[in-house]
Amino acid sequence: MSGGTGLSSAEPEPPLRRPNAALGWLRDRLGWDNLTHLAAKKEVPIHRYTAFYYLGGMALFLFLVQVATGILLLLYYRPSASEAFESVQYIMAEVPFGWLIRSIHSWGANLFVGIVLLHMASVFFLKAYRAPREMTWITGALLLFIALGFGFSGYLLPWNELSFFATRVGTDVPAQIPWIGPLLSRILRGGSDVTGATLSRFYGIHVAILPAITTLLLGLHLLLVQKHGMSVPLSVRRDEDRGALRFFPDFLLRDMVGWLVAVGILAALSALLPWELGKKADPFASAPSGIRPEWYFLSMFQALKYLPAKIAGIPGETLGVFLFGLLAFVVAALPLLDPGASRERPSPWWDRLATLVLVAALALTVLALLPAGGAGR
Amino acid sequence: MRAFLVLTLILALPGPAAQPRPAAPATGCVDCHLALDDARLTPPAKAFSDDIHARSGFTCVFCHGGDAAAQDQELAHDVRKGFRGRIPPRDVPEVCGRCHADVGLMKQFNPSLRVDQLSEYRSSGHGHALAKGDSSVAQCASCHGAHGVLPVKDSRSAVSPARVAQTCNRCHGDAVLMGPHKLPSDVYSKYTRSVHFKAREKGDLSAPSCNSCHGNHGAIPPEVGSVANVCGTCHAVFAEQFKLSPHWEAFKEMGLPGCVTCHENHEIVEPTEEFLGTGPSGKCSSCHEEGSPGAKAAAGMREDLLGLAAGTRAARATIRRAAEAGMEVSRATFDLGRADDALVRARADVHLLRPSAVKEIASSGLTIARSARTAGLKALAERDYRRRGLFLSLGLIVLAVAALVLKIRDIDRRPRHS
Repeated sequence: MSGGTGLSSAEPEPPLRRPNAALGWLRDRLGWDNLTHLAAKKEVPIHRYTAFYYLGGMALFLFLVQVATGILLLLYYRPSASEAFESVQYIMAEVPFGWLIRSIHSWGANLFVGIVLLHMASVFFLKAYRAPREMTWITGALLLFIALGFGFSGYLLPWNELSFFATRVGTDVPAQIPWIGPLLSRILRGGSDVTGATLSRFYGIHVAILPAITTLLLGLHLLLVQKHGMSVPLSVRRDEDRGALRFFPDFLLRDMVGWLVAVGILAALSALLPWELGKKADPFASAPSGIRPEWYFLSMFQALKYLPAKIAGIPGETLGVFLFGLLAFVVAALPLLDPGASRERPSPWWDRLATLVLVAALALTVLALLPAGGAGR
Repeated sequence: MRAFLVLTLILALPGPAAQPRPAAPATGCVDCHLALDDARLTPPAKAFSDDIHARSGFTCVFCHGGDAAAQDQELAHDVRKGFRGRIPPRDVPEVCGRCHADVGLMKQFNPSLRVDQLSEYRSSGHGHALAKGDSSVAQCASCHGAHGVLPVKDSRSAVSPARVAQTCNRCHGDAVLMGPHKLPSDVYSKYTRSVHFKAREKGDLSAPSCNSCHGNHGAIPPEVGSVANVCGTCHAVFAEQFKLSPHWEAFKEMGLPGCVTCHENHEIVEPTEEFLGTGPSGKCSSCHEEGSPGAKAAAGMREDLLGLAAGTRAARATIRRAAEAGMEVSRATFDLGRADDALVRARADVHLLRPSAVKEIASSGLTIARSARTAGLKALAERDYRRRGLFLSLGLIVLAVAALVLKIRDIDRRPRHS
């Protein structure tokens, strides 16, 4: 930063007398120049798939929206079976702009998971997990699972009828794991059934445990992105390479356009379709019809419905849970399981398998969303 | 009127002293009657296999006498062994009553079953007529059947809760049969237009059927003075209120039968506010002239009720619109429930026939309904405010996006330094 001081260059500059002296003092101590130097050097490759690079930034932005709105909700939310529903009702009806904050948090959660899934899919099909970015993928996959955990734990917090019974079904799923399943389910619920103890537990998971793990993983993920830079897809030919875009300000300004559009979408959804609260959970009531989890769990929910009671002597649900676990492991360990990618070669079989899984998940989700909830078992 | 058919068989074990054997041997009666293939004699034998009595170990001879073990028809139908063949209708109640009025015997099979059916029957209109020698009236077998008797809780039984009204109508809907008794034959068709029948059609079997008001074995129309008591077995609040009203004594003096004076007996339709008045649907004109104090009081109560009903309707419509727009209106909905309760209470208080009581509760309900509607309108105003805020925000976002795009273009136009 420059600025006329009227002092000769021979004399030592008294830093505190300069108008930007405080900023300079901070800059020296924070190593700001290093950061601006890093930002000036950071570039984003330009090619026909550049648009997919924006998904990561969008996911990060939506996550920050979730953090901000979540903190605001914490000011009024009360995590107990007797007060949770009423406190959310209070937020929606009495707290100034509480309806907006809660609706943005709820809609934002769905948008966030959607964008994270798209981000993962684009990274997969562009083979951006190739060496040396294996750990970037692995941390990203873990962040996806945590995002799903955020969704699952947050769904129960309003303590309404739908979330209560969906959580009862959801927490029953781990019980299908042989030997340790019932214990896992019990730990998750804080008892044999979904009660106020489950609510307290899910609250703790949602606002403390998962955010702490996310902070570590997200920090590592971003650090790795900075360290290795953006991956250029294998399919992009060298003659198509149109150079690079400076991250700051060129790419960041484009990112901001997307973020503003996301804010607009969230605001519109919140104002026109405020997130419903429903009826307060009644553990003694019978489960209402149409119980189903959030859309990103629907494919698994529907798949479990289709599985027969026994497959080769193994309970269908146990096998289903095992398959989901295996799928999660394959997703997380993908860079280590795809040797072709590490040798800078395409991996068409992985592409076909992933396409098959995605199409099946999409079809199951659509079936679950049909009025009859698909043909269940 | 259906009578018992004769079952021709063997040795008699007559009288109430006859004890059933839980594992009674198969009788020759049924075998022989089935083999007869006779249009009159075979069906009873077929039907008896599913009869509650057969399942409890009773055989034909318990009612018909004779010798079930005899292989010869003459011996089986030997009158010296108590054979009585077809039981005439006039004897049916006594034959059934031999066991069903025997406390000791019935306890062996169903300790909770009543044993006063016979004495009840004797007190009924049917019983009175039968005692006078009119064998066309209903007796046990007319309703329960003779050889295929099923428990009342069995839905196939003609006297099961779901079917009893149709069973009564078999006789009471028959103009030829009812004519000599000077009884109407349109009771069932009237009943089908009643709120009670509609409730049963929706699956509510606790809603009254014929026997709920008339009794079953002691069936007889309620007397004028006991109508309110009969209705009050279900409508307890209304009955209590009516007894406190000035109409209670007045009706007694005039010989009017309480509830049914305004509500009818079989064709009990959904009551409306229009009942209160001297208009075409009004129920007051038979006693109160137009412009009389009674008619004015009725009109006042009607206006109070109509006002509250309109108030709750308006509040409900407003709250529904707000709820459909996703607004949080649970408190207003709760208040609306209180207004609905007030309307129910005000309608109930009509039976006190005191306009001041109706006005008090109706006014309080109307205040609540108005408050709920105001909350609904406030929610709708909030919805509009949010939408205006949204459009303003979207405008600002569009401006910001435009500014960013211009900035990006500006940067893109500058020569890129390496």
